[in-house]
Amino acid sequence: MSTLFITFKIATANLIQHGRRTLFLGSAIAAVTTLLVLLGGLSAGVRDSLVTTATTLSTGHVNVGGFFKVTSGQSGAVVTGVSKLKPLAAQAVPEAAFMVERGRGWAKVVSDTGSIQSGINGVDITNEPEFKNVLTLTAGKLEELARPNTIMIFVGQAAKLGVGVGDAITISAQTTRGVANTIDCEVVAIAKDVGLLSKWNTFIPAETLRRLYQLRDDSTGAIHIHLKPQFIDQSTQIAARLRTALEKAQYPVMEPNSAAFWMKFQSVNREAWTGQKLDVTTWEDELSFIIWTLSLLEGLRFVLLIILLAIVITGIMNTMWIAIRERTREIGALRAIGMQRGGVLRMFLAESLMLGLVGTIAGATIGALIAFALNSAMIDVPLSVQLFLMSDHLRLLVLPGALVSSVLLITIITVAAAFYPALRAARLRPVEAMSHFG
Amino acid sequence: MLNRRIFTKTIGVAVICASAPATLAHSAEKLSQDKLVDLVKVVDDRQRNSGDWQSLVYIEQKEKNKVDVVYETLVFRRSEDQKFMIVFAKPKASQGQGYLRIDKNLWFYDPSVGKWERRTERERIGGTNSRRSDFDESRLAQEYNPEDGGEEKLGAYTARVMSLKGKPGLDLAFPTLKLWVDKATSNVLKRQEFALSGRLLRTSYYPKWKKLYSESKKGEIWYPQEIRFYDEVEKANSTLILIRSVDVRPLAPNLFTKAWLESRSR
Repeated sequence: MSTLFITFKIATANLIQHGRRTLFLGSAIAAVTTLLVLLGGLSAGVRDSLVTTATTLSTGHVNVGGFFKVTSGQSGAVVTGVSKLKPLAAQAVPEAAFMVERGRGWAKVVSDTGSIQSGINGVDITNEPEFKNVLTLTAGKLEELARPNTIMIFVGQAAKLGVGVGDAITISAQTTRGVANTIDCEVVAIAKDVGLLSKWNTFIPAETLRRLYQLRDDSTGAIHIHLKPQFIDQSTQIAARLRTALEKAQYPVMEPNSAAFWMKFQSVNREAWTGQKLDVTTWEDELSFIIWTLSLLEGLRFVLLIILLAIVITGIMNTMWIAIRERTREIGALRAIGMQRGGVLRMFLAESLMLGLVGTIAGATIGALIAFALNSAMIDVPLSVQLFLMSDHLRLLVLPGALVSSVLLITIITVAAAFYPALRAARLRPVEAMSHFG
Repeated sequence: MLNRRIFTKTIGVAVICASAPATLAHSAEKLSQDKLVDLVKVVDDRQRNSGDWQSLVYIEQKEKNKVDVVYETLVFRRSEDQKFMIVFAKPKASQGQGYLRIDKNLWFYDPSVGKWERRTERERIGGTNSRRSDFDESRLAQEYNPEDGGEEKLGAYTARVMSLKGKPGLDLAFPTLKLWVDKATSNVLKRQEFALSGRLLRTSYYPKWKKLYSESKKGEIWYPQEIRFYDEVEKANSTLILIRSVDVRPLAPNLFTKAWLESRSR
């Protein structure tokens, strides 16, 4: 214990003695840690926005969706017999926190001055516990969506349509049997944009959607199953279990396909079957068209990490070599007064460990503070970036676990980089070392 | 160039279109149900070819805040098994694209991706406000039951007005139609299509009809040389269709195949 203490005492003294070098190397380690924390925070922020926003607005963590085909070439995103399906899903997924029904459609939304193509979501707003938490309204009231023939749109859509709260718009679509139909709705709420999802999503009461598409009362677009937070990462396994349960209950179920439901119309229409087929998906399936941005971000982070670590490793090894060269006579003296090889090795490793720890802790702290400052500043991002960030402002999510892992990772790498030079120093013969003139 | 031709040749359209809102002079004369059904059958029969059909069709789409689009297409039909095909010739970006109807399924081919996609029968052709049925033979008597709406003056023409309700059990794109049929010729002059909700969706004008002799029918067939569609939901949008170079001689037997359409773009 006392040997270890002495080793760390000598290491500390050495670090202080070579203050400029320590400061330079420590700053480099801190900068790398800061970058790592910020990149991780950005990635986690996007992922968190994606999970919370998208899994409220357009998908559950696990979904029972499906297609109903009147003829082989004409399908609708419709699930029939919901009252029988929901208890079955609840039984198969005990991890569920709650379930909501969500009508699915695609239609033209027309105002007096403009038109947009949009996904039409049928919601029962009184049964949507998370809706209020992920949307920020700029005008109107979300509760008004409980009235029939009402609609909630996003700011960008309102601008395109040239409408405000209280204005009327027409939704024009084809029923599942291909009959043209329209419905007039009053705009009751306008929400702030939430990235890509607000480009093509509007929300109307579920009953209004049923009338538009001429669906039965017991039909919906999908049952969204929201899992308790600790089970969200298990959504794929839970979906597989639910799929098996539905098949056992004699429901025709589609093969797993990691794509959003609207990307499946082409393949479904090519198939010859008619009637109902269920499709069990996870939130990752339904958001596969967005998730690639996360993968891209993760990939970018990984590449940057490799480059930065290569620089750090080279820097540490070089600095250690220089230190050993400068301190060869000192090493010789230490060895001559009885320090063993292991002691020399421990001394140099302790130096790099302390340097790494102090540097990474400083870097992580700076990174967390920068992230906090950026979040507090609510920096608006360009529209093109909003699409992928799922938010209209920059948001970094720095989790304690990520901070600790950044500190540990870079400290370990720092110590590992110092290991070989330290080993070489430990192997120096005392006589040669003492007679060294560098 | 097409625009100029359109506007110089269709002064007659303006007469019908412009006078349409002022055509409220109803006549008291009512037709019996049988006579109405017969009239709808006549409307269909005048357009029935009972054989093959080929025509050059220009489709012009005007949409608010968008550049006008003009397509040059070739339309092929075969009455015997209700086969149908549209091939896009111009513009270059759409060249080789086409719709093919096989066994009540409408397929779309895009040579740029080399893939066939199944589309609904109500597909908007080339994204315009025209549907496949606009280029096909009229089958109103098979699909709708008429109700008399009296007579109206439509510009210089006297027209029989009919409300057509879709027959039960049929899935029709438009459950209700309103038809203005020229009293003198039994050609359609104007047509309105309504949504299930009762909202007027589209108004069409048929200002120019032309006849030609069909060997397969052993008689004359009539076709509209020009159709104008006005979107009633998005008021600023309209579509113009010009039908030219109609040929009713028999077509090659292997024409209505995916292979033939694919070969057009090779």
